[in-house]
Amino acid sequence: MPGLASLVLADARFPGGGHVHSGGLEEAVSRGLVSDVASLEGFLRGRLRTAGLVAAAFAAASAAVSACRPSSGPSPSRPSSSCDGAAATRARFAELDAELEARTPSAAAREASRAQGRGTLRAVRAAWPSPVLDDLAAVHPRPHHPLLIGAACGVAGEPPGEAARCVAYLAVSGPASAAVRLLGLDPFAVNAVLVGLGPALETVVAEAVSAADGPPPDLPAPGAPVLDLMAQAHVDQHRGRLRLFAS
Amino acid sequence: MHARAVLTVERGAGGRSVVRELRSQSPLSLVPRRGTAAAADPAVTVHMVGSASTPLAGDDVELDVRVGPGADLVLTGVAAAVALPGTDRPSSLALRFTLGEDASVQYLPEPTVVTARAHHHTLLHARLAPTSRLRAREVLVAGRAGEPSGRYRGTVRVEEHPTPHQSAVPVVPLLHQTQELGDPVLQESSAHLAARRVLGTEVLIWGADGVAVTGDWWSLSPLSRRGSLITAVAPDAVSTQRALAEAIAAHPGWAVGTRHDAVRALVF
Repeated sequence: MPGLASLVLADARFPGGGHVHSGGLEEAVSRGLVSDVASLEGFLRGRLRTAGLVAAAFAAASAAVSACRPSSGPSPSRPSSSCDGAAATRARFAELDAELEARTPSAAAREASRAQGRGTLRAVRAAWPSPVLDDLAAVHPRPHHPLLIGAACGVAGEPPGEAARCVAYLAVSGPASAAVRLLGLDPFAVNAVLVGLGPALETVVAEAVSAADGPPPDLPAPGAPVLDLMAQAHVDQHRGRLRLFAS
Repeated sequence: MHARAVLTVERGAGGRSVVRELRSQSPLSLVPRRGTAAAADPAVTVHMVGSASTPLAGDDVELDVRVGPGADLVLTGVAAAVALPGTDRPSSLALRFTLGEDASVQYLPEPTVVTARAHHHTLLHARLAPTSRLRAREVLVAGRAGEPSGRYRGTVRVEEHPTPHQSAVPVVPLLHQTQELGDPVLQESSAHLAARRVLGTEVLIWGADGVAVTGDWWSLSPLSRRGSLITAVAPDAVSTQRALAEAIAAHPGWAVGTRHDAVRALVF
């Protein structure tokens, strides 16, 4: 069952700055690739299976590292005998950070992930203070968003699967809400599409959790070619022009 | 059929690269370029010929390529590869590149056409030294004209390994990406192929990386540590290759030039 942390982190009203990111949807709309509920669903399914799976797997792996730190919280989900102190935790976060960077070839996508991580870090620190967050911020002051969500869930005592579900949901809920604002789509129809992604989302969560048990170099790395090239085009072609979303 | 091939290139006397070891067996043949043009080129060019370029189901080909310090290799395919259906097992091609300091590899195969009902897996695993250079192109065609794509899954992983005197430095992944074809949901999704049939990627770990550059349907993006990745989608292979050429011309490290202008002339 999800705990309070993953519910709060997935809430659109969570003050982490996620509302300024559309996950590539704004660029897809400006290219005419997404124009109605059906084309939005196609976009969301592709995004979930690619960028969503990468994010979910790294969130799950990060939650496992976080829960492993002895001082991380009231109820670590793993026995502390297999767990390590600050230096080892930092080394494991650093490896996850490097592997996630290697799986994010688009500079614009890396920047969007770090910008969201930075905004979320302040809110997470206030809600779930823990030395684990210092370990993650020591690797990079602007942690990647999936690693931070995973770390926060781990600190709060939630299992890797909840972190994966939270991040996989965010990978589609942000673009879905952006579509309502950009295209004026029927919010009830868009919400129904989101709910219809349920089985695909559970498949992604299961794959993420299973991969997070293995070594970081083996974590999934599905590419999203058009998403990647649109992410950069959004930054380049809209520089200095009016746009609603940062990504 | 299972085949294991080995290719070792080293820097020889006078600075020219030479083939030290070459072992290949059906369905893969490796043929070094010969003749006066080859003799004048300080880099070694080797063509991948034969059934390696037309994998059948069940074919399982591995190629280990070692390029010693300061040596340069160009590895090309001579015909469009067509992954064809056959028995119930998938076909696979695994390439492992190990590059020494100041070594370079340009891997420039012809497009892979994933025909309907094919099931093909590929792996390209490159281990670089901090000063090695790599250019690796991949053009994937989702089915012949008018037919749906077969199943394809290909992974590229590029790692930078410390030199022997840097033993405390960890292995750094520069790029790790898996591309999948043959799933209608992904192919139609505007997040994945946006209904385009051809996907081109080109990894360029080749000197200076600039800022990201984009065209309509291609992008050249600097990777996190070093190197760049070009991504292009198009309705056909020719447009894809044109987009890749346009993108690579925008890469500062490549624009400075390879050590061998003859190689560039060959490639364009």
